[in-house]
Amino acid sequence: MNTATGIIKALNSGIKHLAIKRFTLRYPEEKLKFVGDGYQFDPSTGVGIAGYKGRHMLFHDHCTGCQLCSIACEGVAEAIAMVKVPEEHKQNKKAIMPQIDYGKCVFCGLCVDACPFYALYMTNDYELSSFSKEGLIYTPAQLQVKPFVSQDSEIKITDRGATHG
Amino acid sequence: MNKELPPGLALQKVDERIMTLNVGPQHPGSGHMRIIVQIDGDFIVACDPDPGYVHRGEEKMAEYRNYITNIPHLERPVIHDSCNVLYPYVLGVEELLGIEVPERAKYIRVIASELNRCVYTMYWLAIYGIFLGHSTMFMWPAGDRELLIDLLEKMTGARVTHAHFVPGGVRNDLPPNFEDVCLRQVNYFEKRIKEYAAVFYDNPILIARTANTGVLSREDAIRLGTTGSVLRASGVDYDLRKKEPYDVYDELDFQTNVLKEGDSYARSKIPWLDMMESCRIIRHALQKMPKSGSVRVKLKPNPKGKGLDSVYKRVESGRGSLGCYIVSDGKPEPYRVKLSVGSFRNLIALPYLLKGEKLGNMPSVYWSLNYWPVEADR
Repeated sequence: MNTATGIIKALNSGIKHLAIKRFTLRYPEEKLKFVGDGYQFDPSTGVGIAGYKGRHMLFHDHCTGCQLCSIACEGVAEAIAMVKVPEEHKQNKKAIMPQIDYGKCVFCGLCVDACPFYALYMTNDYELSSFSKEGLIYTPAQLQVKPFVSQDSEIKITDRGATHG
Repeated sequence: MNKELPPGLALQKVDERIMTLNVGPQHPGSGHMRIIVQIDGDFIVACDPDPGYVHRGEEKMAEYRNYITNIPHLERPVIHDSCNVLYPYVLGVEELLGIEVPERAKYIRVIASELNRCVYTMYWLAIYGIFLGHSTMFMWPAGDRELLIDLLEKMTGARVTHAHFVPGGVRNDLPPNFEDVCLRQVNYFEKRIKEYAAVFYDNPILIARTANTGVLSREDAIRLGTTGSVLRASGVDYDLRKKEPYDVYDELDFQTNVLKEGDSYARSKIPWLDMMESCRIIRHALQKMPKSGSVRVKLKPNPKGKGLDSVYKRVESGRGSLGCYIVSDGKPEPYRVKLSVGSFRNLIALPYLLKGEKLGNMPSVYWSLNYWPVEADR
């Protein structure tokens, strides 16, 4: 008798879920919303600003070509290489800027922590797939572009369960 | 053909009854490790766990990187539990460098590591469910885990492998309005895991299958040096969060769960009970946390240790005691980093537990040890 009640209880708790809303993110149609515009770092206080660690964004008018991001990445992934850029900036005499290989990057964000000139941030863009290995290497010109993201799904908790609304 | 064969190549005499079976190392039922079992019919005569398939040399790698760039790779052994894996290393480096951590950072760390413990346990529970052929118990934890992954993603910016803890605090402050979201989702999560009782833990089929299999007595658990949930399921009340409190665990209100049976069922129940305690800790920590203040001490680039020095710190991870021994010789890189992980210590019990069991019980006994192959191999 006890066994039968136990089995019925177990079945019942599953059947109850027919009335509960589905907790599935239907990914390509729906995308999760993140806080902020991505992980950033404030060198004056030494503390980061919460955000998603996605693809980087490089501000050409701030970058001085100091290579600190590349040095920070050396012990982690060696994903950052300093390359020549055609345009000239007065703060960047050597005209070198980081180029990031997303085939190697682990998205730890230590390069953002290393930048003292507010030049390197991370964004909410995580869809970086490419058909070739070369396509994963982002040049300084590509990193300058602000990504287009449409992420609006949030977890909503109601009496009938949690959903991605 | 009288040539002497070297011992490794010599043919072994085959027993008529005993069959040797390799489970793994690429079997979904063993993770990335091999269990060599010798069976007589359906019963296991002997068992030899063979870890090392996913050895990645994390400890050696740590000797070539400085104290900060060690962070992203040292959390790789258990990516679901990355905050807890990194915790002893960060605590050790703080002691080596003589850094005092701000109060708010300590609370954020405790919240992050408790969330991570739940995330790991849910993943573990999902696999435990599918090992027993209970596919509902695979789907539910895998889905409800999303609630906490979402919180960690808001907190740290990554769903797994957060790289959030650094010597001197945490990388970033909490996002605005995090406390409310955290409280709401953790409360709902707790409500959900309580529902698992009816479908899984009070299910007579599960109890019939796992109770009294792989019994580890209290004396054996202590003698074999097991830790964490395995030790607590055998009736030893030992939790490092209580015994050697680190950060702010001594100020928080929680209790440890102890069961006396020591069988596969008790070992699978302890992590589930621990998750409810984790929810309590998170709620209490959110309440007691200072509302503002610094979260990270500013360090010099490339911090160095003060001469020849060593430190050993340990924390309670999702799999038991996790220790980190760091030796510094005054250079920016550590001289030696040694991880002493709970998984490896719990694995020692496996040959004792499986002797005389049926082969069908092997997955449930093996996975109830809370073993994570990648962590044991480091």
